[in-house]
Amino acid sequence: AQARMQGGSSGIGYGLKYQARCISDVKADTDYTSFLAGTLSLKEENEVHLLRLSSGGSELICEGLFSHPNEIWDLASCPFDQRIFSTVFSTGESFGAAIWQIPELYGQLNSPQLERVASLDAHVGKINCVLWWPSGRCDKLISMDEQNIFLWSLDCSNKSAEVLSKDSAGMLHSLSGGAWDPHDVNAVAATGESSVQFWDLRTMKYGISVDLLCSQKVNSIERAHVRGVDYNPKREHILITAEDESGIHVWDLRKAKAPVQELPGHTHWTWAVKCNPEYDGLILSAGTDSAVNLWYASASSTNNKAPESPVESTRERVNLLLNSYTDYEDSVYGLAWSSREPWVFASLSYDGRVVIESVKPFLPRL
Amino acid sequence: MATEAAPMDEKAKRMRDLLSSFYTPDPSISTPTSSISTSFDNINGPSFDADQYMDLMIKKSNLDVLLQRHVQMAAEIKNLDTDLQMLVYENYNKFISATDTIKRMKSNIFGMEGNMDQLLHKIMSVQSRSDGVNTSLFEKREHIEKLHRTRNLLRKVQFIYDLPARLQKCIKSEAYGDAVRFYTGAMPILKVYGDTSFKDCRRASEEAIETIIKNLQTKLFSDSESIQARAEAAVLLKQLDVPVDSLKDKLLEKLEQSLDGLQINPDEASKLAEHNVSSKDEESNNQGPAKIHEDAVRGFSEAMRAYREIFPDSEERLFKLARALTTTHFENMELYIRKRVSAADFLGIFRIIWEDVVLMDEVLPEAALSDLSAEAAQVTLKQFVARTFSHLQQDISDTLLKFDINQKEVVDGEVLKVVLEASGKAEFRQLLDENTGIFVKMNDLLIGWIQKGFQDFFRSLESHFLVLSGKTSSSNETEGLVEGKSSEKIHAGLILVLAQLSVVIEQKVIPRIAEEITASFSGGNSQAFIPGELCRVFHAASEKLLQHYIDTRTQKISNVLRKRFKTPNWVKHKEPREVHMYVDMLLQQLEEVGKEVKQILPQGTFRKHKRSDSNGSNTTTSSRSTTLHSDKMARSNSQRARSQLFETHLAKLFKQKVEIFTKVEFTQESVVTTTVKLCLKSLQEYVRLQTFNRSGFQQIQLDIQFLKAPLKETVEDEAAIDFLLDEVIVAASERCLDVTPLEPPILDKLIQAKLAKSKEHNNNNNKTTVSS
Repeated sequence: AQARMQGGSSGIGYGLKYQARCISDVKADTDYTSFLAGTLSLKEENEVHLLRLSSGGSELICEGLFSHPNEIWDLASCPFDQRIFSTVFSTGESFGAAIWQIPELYGQLNSPQLERVASLDAHVGKINCVLWWPSGRCDKLISMDEQNIFLWSLDCSNKSAEVLSKDSAGMLHSLSGGAWDPHDVNAVAATGESSVQFWDLRTMKYGISVDLLCSQKVNSIERAHVRGVDYNPKREHILITAEDESGIHVWDLRKAKAPVQELPGHTHWTWAVKCNPEYDGLILSAGTDSAVNLWYASASSTNNKAPESPVESTRERVNLLLNSYTDYEDSVYGLAWSSREPWVFASLSYDGRVVIESVKPFLPRL
Repeated sequence: MATEAAPMDEKAKRMRDLLSSFYTPDPSISTPTSSISTSFDNINGPSFDADQYMDLMIKKSNLDVLLQRHVQMAAEIKNLDTDLQMLVYENYNKFISATDTIKRMKSNIFGMEGNMDQLLHKIMSVQSRSDGVNTSLFEKREHIEKLHRTRNLLRKVQFIYDLPARLQKCIKSEAYGDAVRFYTGAMPILKVYGDTSFKDCRRASEEAIETIIKNLQTKLFSDSESIQARAEAAVLLKQLDVPVDSLKDKLLEKLEQSLDGLQINPDEASKLAEHNVSSKDEESNNQGPAKIHEDAVRGFSEAMRAYREIFPDSEERLFKLARALTTTHFENMELYIRKRVSAADFLGIFRIIWEDVVLMDEVLPEAALSDLSAEAAQVTLKQFVARTFSHLQQDISDTLLKFDINQKEVVDGEVLKVVLEASGKAEFRQLLDENTGIFVKMNDLLIGWIQKGFQDFFRSLESHFLVLSGKTSSSNETEGLVEGKSSEKIHAGLILVLAQLSVVIEQKVIPRIAEEITASFSGGNSQAFIPGELCRVFHAASEKLLQHYIDTRTQKISNVLRKRFKTPNWVKHKEPREVHMYVDMLLQQLEEVGKEVKQILPQGTFRKHKRSDSNGSNTTTSSRSTTLHSDKMARSNSQRARSQLFETHLAKLFKQKVEIFTKVEFTQESVVTTTVKLCLKSLQEYVRLQTFNRSGFQQIQLDIQFLKAPLKETVEDEAAIDFLLDEVIVAASERCLDVTPLEPPILDKLIQAKLAKSKEHNNNNNKTTVSS
């Protein structure tokens, strides 16, 4: 247990040994608020840390420490089994993706080894992410590399994974990540260089992909690189994107010509955005300016884009940013809301520091 | 005296009463008053009882009183005696004279009978003679009367026979009044006998009358005739039972038609206005369109005045006409100001309209034209103010767009400021100075509109700026001004111009306008112009735009960097042989930023620090590079990496955290520095996403080493640049499988080679600037 309180800051910190990018909420753990974090080190033995927030919420306890064969570029906890998670990893020269299981009785073992449930080894190029079926117990998975998207069927008991369908985005597009629509399990959004593409899983075998935003972008200058994407779990058709220079955009997919709302984002790139699983309009963003910003993009202001008075809109814009957590030493890449305690989030900066914060003091109304 | 007179009167009265009772046998009638006061003690009363009276007296009175009464009564009796004697005497006299008179009358009357008889006889004979005369003259008289009547009749007949000729004469002398009088006089006869005896006559006179009617009508329609003459004509026509209403309708219709000619054609209005404005040389140019128009309207209102007098019942229609003209005037005005119109022209037209209204108002004050036009004028004026503002905005946006086309042209904020002030202030001042009646009334309103206009103008200008900059998406943009623009590339310089312009507006223009407003457009109770709020708005806008500029610029550079890092396979990189060309692109982009910034933004104030700082930062660099150098010495890969990471962290702990992301200021240096910082940070982030082999790392090392000098030249904050460049190297080493930095001599050699090459390149392309 390496938990410690930070002087002056409300957050609870935890240091991983190495640099790191990925942290995930363990959604299936209903007893504790826990997170999984994986390190990113080319040369050292990488680790996956299972962290648990003490019941008082004052301590962050390392519940398990597992060695992982390679540096971890993506990590996602299985939504229905707290012991299962996926990683995307790289040896430096090649990429791989696998489903892992935390061994039972791991607390008693000295150096517990992760059990590899399945390898998602259909990819050739650089793998970006693995997405779990957004809600409920389902054995479907999606994995993406720069050109292809695969739909997998996972069989935990037989320790195997099978490709159900696959499609290629084409050489022109370079996928970088994605999100599975929690309102429509057939829809997946994939971020490209300067676009977000929408895939319909039912028709995927026919290779139909929808490229909605790319050509219709309004700003004349090349659209900034889309870094992150997340569906609003509380409102259908609402999607948020994080872009390098242009900050955060809220989109209504029914009228995708222009964003319904724009948040300034970060001083440097906005790396990740996450919608709160419980409070509609609460958005968290992490940036390479060593900060995590808490936004409130209220539903009303989302509906009404053009404010009557510019003064109001500036006031609104100021108010949109509820808080900026700046107590980081390096770029923040990892960001996760707790689904068990939706006012708690975990952030992970590149220097391997996990910080758990509660947004309660900043909520506009509860 | 009065007390003395009263008993005297009393006494006289009593005397008279007594005497009269003496003459009149019936005392009850003669003295009704005394009988009323009959009592026992009334000694004069008819029912006076002396005994009773005595008894009463004796009973009531004492001796003295009785004695007194006795004396009194004795005196009274004596008096009465005297009076009585006097009366008797007088009466006797009268009687004697009466007898004398009667005697004389008797003698006079004698012989009168005979005279009377004579008289009677004579009267009788007079009567009989008169009867005789009467009977003898009767027949003749009858005859004379008959002749007289015939003569009258003949005269009338003569008149009727003469009527046509007379009427013709009247026509000749234009004495239509007489003609009508004659004709109407003859009318009853003609009516009765027209079909029989006077057929020809009637026809002739009717013909004459028809000509008269015709003449009268022409007279009525002719504008050259005096109003009185025309009015008379109308009255005569009315007397002739000509249906005047249809005439009136015709006339009014004609009047209505003439309205078209009076309209101010929106297309020709400026000509009109011009002439009106240059009315100083009116003498020379008397036949200007304005003059013509004025005459026309004058004629129109004169006609209205005439008709009003001629047909008093036509007022309503005239009102309608006048109102219609006023309304069309303002409608045309509205059309007119849809195009771009100067305040002078606007006022010119306005004055014309106002003059017209005044002219008509004189004739028809009841039509409430001034109210009507005041209302319409308000609307028009308001529109004009609004339009002027929108034109102003158009001007500004045009100027800004021109910048985009010809990017070398320096668009100075001052220029626009002048535009703003010149057009804004002067135009509105002119409006306010206008003292045409209606404007005076509307001054307060006008001030309000102008204030509100400025307020709205600046607000919309701000949003327009944001749209022009591409910051606001034009999907919710209804102006359509930038429709064509959004698809093209928005020049980054334009964004910077907009940012700087916002600053100028915030710091100079708005305070200036505020001054102007308090100086010229204050008063009234409107406080629609709120400079504080606008300053806030533009302050926010300027920061937003500046940020947007930097975003746009860094985004471009990011694209260069992204391409650079995506293309090669860094894990299989070959040994670095030269500085990669993306460095040139990066520097070129930064150079562009520098150029734009120098053109548009002011210089900062902290240039002086540069020299003293450079030494300190150099030491930092050297210390850091020695760190790397010592790393190279270490053999064990993992140990080295570990110690390196440790060192990095330690360095971060002890080295004061370099403020990378400071607030951007509106200075050349600040913007350039921020841009460079952000780019280097991006570079770091791109490096972190890759994995390098030894050569890949060395390539990064080489490129960064090369960048060091030119970047430091452009940027103020050298320490931060050093820090960030080092961070890139650190990031690369962290992501490197085999960190073996290039030896400094090789590094130097390669950099020198690159410098020589780029110098040569510059010499070759001395005239042409590199464009990408």
